[in-house]
Amino acid sequence: MKFLRRLDYWVNHRRREAELAEEIEFHRVMGAESLGNTTLAREDARAVWIWPWLESVGQDLRYALRNLRRQPGFTLVAILTLGIAIGLNTSFFTVFDAVALRMWPVKDSARLVKILSQTQRFPRPRGFSIAEYRYFAEKTKSLSAVVAMEEGRTRLGFEDFGKTSWTIFVSGNYFQALGVAMERGRGFIPEEDLVDSPVNVAVLSYPLWRDHFGSDPAIVGKEIRVDEVPFTVVGVASEEFTGTMGGREDLWAPLPSMQSLRLQGNTRAHLRKPDFCCSTLAGRLAPGFSRAQAQAELAVLSRQFHDQYQLDPATILLADPSILAGHPKRKTFMPVFALMFAGLALVLLLACANVSNLLIARAAARRREIEVRRALGAGRSRIVRQLLTEGFVLALAAAALGIGLAWKLPAYVFALADDGPNVRLTPDATVILYAAALAAITCIAFALAPALHGTRPKSTTRRLPLRNVLLAAQFAMSVVLLIGAGLMVSAVKHAHDRDPGFRIHDVSVVSFEVPVSSYDSNRTVAFFTQLSKELEGVPEMRPVAITAREPLANSHWNTVFRLPGEPAGTEHDIEYQQVSAGYFDVLGIPFVAGRNFQQGDEARHFVVVNESMAHRYFGGDNPVGKSIVFGMTTSQIIGVARDASLTYVEGPGPLLFTLFKGDQIPKLLVRTGLPGGADIISGMTKRIDPRARVQVSPLVQNLDQQLSGSRVMAGIAGMLGTFALVLAAVGISGVFAYVVQQRTKEIGIRMALGAAPKEVIGLVLSGTARAAIVGLVIGYVTAGGVAKFLAQYLYGVSPYDPKAYAGVAIILAISGLAAAYLPARRATRVDPLSALRVE
Amino acid sequence: MGTQKSSELLPGTLDLLVLKTLGRGRMHGYGIAQHLKLVSEDVLQVGESSLYPALQRLLLNGWVKAEWGASENNRRARYYTLTAAGRKQLDSERHEFDRMVVAIQKVLET
Repeated sequence: MKFLRRLDYWVNHRRREAELAEEIEFHRVMGAESLGNTTLAREDARAVWIWPWLESVGQDLRYALRNLRRQPGFTLVAILTLGIAIGLNTSFFTVFDAVALRMWPVKDSARLVKILSQTQRFPRPRGFSIAEYRYFAEKTKSLSAVVAMEEGRTRLGFEDFGKTSWTIFVSGNYFQALGVAMERGRGFIPEEDLVDSPVNVAVLSYPLWRDHFGSDPAIVGKEIRVDEVPFTVVGVASEEFTGTMGGREDLWAPLPSMQSLRLQGNTRAHLRKPDFCCSTLAGRLAPGFSRAQAQAELAVLSRQFHDQYQLDPATILLADPSILAGHPKRKTFMPVFALMFAGLALVLLLACANVSNLLIARAAARRREIEVRRALGAGRSRIVRQLLTEGFVLALAAAALGIGLAWKLPAYVFALADDGPNVRLTPDATVILYAAALAAITCIAFALAPALHGTRPKSTTRRLPLRNVLLAAQFAMSVVLLIGAGLMVSAVKHAHDRDPGFRIHDVSVVSFEVPVSSYDSNRTVAFFTQLSKELEGVPEMRPVAITAREPLANSHWNTVFRLPGEPAGTEHDIEYQQVSAGYFDVLGIPFVAGRNFQQGDEARHFVVVNESMAHRYFGGDNPVGKSIVFGMTTSQIIGVARDASLTYVEGPGPLLFTLFKGDQIPKLLVRTGLPGGADIISGMTKRIDPRARVQVSPLVQNLDQQLSGSRVMAGIAGMLGTFALVLAAVGISGVFAYVVQQRTKEIGIRMALGAAPKEVIGLVLSGTARAAIVGLVIGYVTAGGVAKFLAQYLYGVSPYDPKAYAGVAIILAISGLAAAYLPARRATRVDPLSALRVE
Repeated sequence: MGTQKSSELLPGTLDLLVLKTLGRGRMHGYGIAQHLKLVSEDVLQVGESSLYPALQRLLLNGWVKAEWGASENNRRARYYTLTAAGRKQLDSERHEFDRMVVAIQKVLET
């Protein structure tokens, strides 16, 4: 009650002090003669509320610090344990905050909305065609501006082999509408956004300007080459502006300028056709308009536009302008985030449980001190507060360590990943608040129970039930984490060893870099056909294949087709691959029906499908000789290839093959085995075009790359699991040591009466062994329940894989024994005489 | 009059006197001081710098509560009333004080 009144005073202190001043002033006016100094009266009266409280808090703090300093080992273990746990949680939250919570780094981002569309055929939210964007931009009243953006891989001439810079093609109003501050020069102007008269101008990102143009103060007006096409620099964006697409953004150019570059696909159609997907759209709400109003208006505009061009009706969605909102991979990210949060919460809980355990042992050891203080008249609440203050000091130190960790760790991890999201990873106020909240929760979680426990009058203390509950919880948590890690490890191994259905081990991928702007599709086909013919002249390299993307390339193309009987508008989505006939030979994929492509098929509309495609769309019938409507034409199916996991490790889906058409610079696949093969390939390539560069890498590298995500997950789970296990081992060890210490006298008496060491060890273990077994059982049951959700990341390994479960049992048994060994040995060494003399 | 010294109070007794005074009914700070002075025939002259901290202490302990009202000359003044807990405290302090006085007298008379 007193505390509440004090709190009330603190909350309303301004009013309360004013009242006091008024009251004293009243006194002074009433009394003709004033006794004493009114200011002093006010000060003293105010001090009644604050001083004794502050003083006792200060006292507690001093006492806590002294106590912690006296036991540096305990203090260090506790701070490290909690600090690492808080640090891991905070680090992860930093990432989450950066990609999901933080808004775009632009002016007044609260009034910005991301605009997405959803149709029955494409239920995943996506963007709009440029034509529809123009329609919106022209008609909307509820948005003061609409911007469009689209990313493209380009080369500026300084990149390493196979690396690209990201050019973002944006509408002319992009910089002005978003309110991006400029370091140099200006953003784009509407005249640079005319589809029929493209102007090649560019705005550089700050890092690009700094790192590759030496922060040239006179950069504006200079010419740079994007894919060898000259662009004039008109500005440099400010350092804070990291972009709006979520990836790295190196430079920006107006949308129409993409026509002068040779990017994937048909850019002329892209900029004009009403059904060409997709540009990302965002808008700024006009003053006085709400999100709901904007959504309603855009829905009307979208309906008008879709009616006009006979497109499927679309639903309009508005989202916050954060990186993850409306991101195509949001669906994949969110479960991973949830999983990580859950795992890290477990680790934090575990750390709390452990420190709590140590504190209980200490509280028990300090029972005498506590009893003395009670005898001297300290109330129980006062002693609980004292113990909580110690917890608070520990939590504070741990939070500081945690924030320090969060400052460095995410940026370090992201630096390992190539092309990771381009976000600021330094903790901001939200992150620090999060860490502080964690510390507060932690403090209560680990310090309150022991404090209450330790100050309970001795008579009511049972034999440490709380300690056993904590121990059981620790066992359970390490079991869950370690089984998760074990499953991931065996999944990666399984995926790596499994036969993907094609030859992966003695095949090499040849990648090329040629000046793309001078390679149109005819020249591309001619160049690579000639090169592969020449390479086939080397017997060790035969067969040679041309393919738009090599197997497991971590990217895929999709297209749509329909069967001749089906009406237009009912197309099926299917993955699509352009290859040469050699593709099936070099990868050793047999045909189950029909034939491979051959000489002379180039001019015909022939396609090859895989078994999955044949099975899904033709049932049991042999599809060879049947037709599908694909692109603008009707094509004939000439063969069915055996299924192989060509795109994803997880397994094959329906796949459609055509001959390579030169839409992009392809890869070649050759047989490995000829010493100096890379030089031969490079030499032959340079003879045809001296500007071309070549890189040869083993195909199996792609498999490793695809599995790297799972490897990282297995690594993280393993790390957390090991951290948890070490914690648990420390916990077990501490508990045993404590039990031995507590029962030294009893052990001494038993040994004096002739008990064998084995019986003594049994005595020590009996209390905790039950807790450990209960923990194991709970852990296994929980792991079994949780494993279901891991199934989609396990590449077909059963979530109940006995290897993982048994392995964890063995690891736990070994570490449990190791942790119990030292204290148990100490118990058998107890000297009966000195034991009896202890008290 | 001007030469008379205000007497030093035994520690803690001011709280008791204030509680006792408020036992007669609602009163503002100045009223309490006046009452003490009057009843003690000018022996107890309590200054603001001891009266107001004492009142705040009583508020903090929940023995009195305060509310604003109009004074006899129509100014805004803060009036204090005894709470139930305050009444209990008054009884026990009174009892304790009596015991103390008896004890002190015994010592002085021997």
